[in-house]
Amino acid sequence: MTALLDLDAIRAEFLNKDFDEQTFTVDATKLADYAFACGEQAACYIDPEHPEFQAPPTFPSSLSPGRRLPEGFPELPGMGMDAGKAVAPIKPIRPGTTISAKTHLHDVYAKTGRSGRMTFLVTRMELYNEIGERLATADTRVVIREKPDGND
Amino acid sequence: MSETRTVSRLSDVEFGEALPVFDPDTSLDNVKRFTVAAGWNSPRFTDHEAARKQGLPGALVPGIMSQGFLAAMIHRWAPEAQIENVDTIFRAPVVVDEPHHINGVVTDIDEDTGTVEVDLTVTNTKNETRVFGTARVHLPA
Repeated sequence: MTALLDLDAIRAEFLNKDFDEQTFTVDATKLADYAFACGEQAACYIDPEHPEFQAPPTFPSSLSPGRRLPEGFPELPGMGMDAGKAVAPIKPIRPGTTISAKTHLHDVYAKTGRSGRMTFLVTRMELYNEIGERLATADTRVVIREKPDGND
Repeated sequence: MSETRTVSRLSDVEFGEALPVFDPDTSLDNVKRFTVAAGWNSPRFTDHEAARKQGLPGALVPGIMSQGFLAAMIHRWAPEAQIENVDTIFRAPVVVDEPHHINGVVTDIDEDTGTVEVDLTVTNTKNETRVFGTARVHLPA
């Protein structure tokens, strides 16, 4: 029998503690292509020569941490499925910026239905520029369907 | 035929207003352009055959690209908008080279904070919801 994840213990041990840090640099041409492919039309997103040129607001969602969960996190009792992404732009991300990205486990919660318990893990990546200003947050949600008694 | 309406100020927005429908470019060429720009070069996004071998219906539009479509749609409706948050749920695959439509509706207006909330859905030609999103947007007063 596979035990359900102990969510209280997970929160106590892992919540809001950075478990990964990455550095990214952003290239103007790639930012413009990203924005154009998404359908952006404003020059500030698709023209690198524009004085206010910046990354499109959902760009932070494309950045990935080095690991998905903290070291020592309990083994997941099922396959984790993508439950969505959220992004909150705070300041413009300019080309040439060296971005520091720190990731922590932001939330853990469960929903229970007739088919069992679904546990949601939310990791948050926080992006900073070279002088420590926060540029954006990007959340990734993973859902695990837990089957403690082996039933389908 | 619906008129393409844009708004520039909070006072222009009506509760329940439908945003102009946006039909994003889900062609393989455009998805390839996106994956190169994003550094997401998995064959599941750029090769129909490779994706089918993985049990997928075809090459997939990355979820983050669908999220980008939602933001672009908001900017097309409200060019002065500052997006504060976009939250997306990926319910089903968005298949490359298949037409999709994005609809949006204003679900809340907060005059104190100057923000508008919008619900957005990406649907295929069978009107099946593939992606659902909510966005909070700030507009000038």
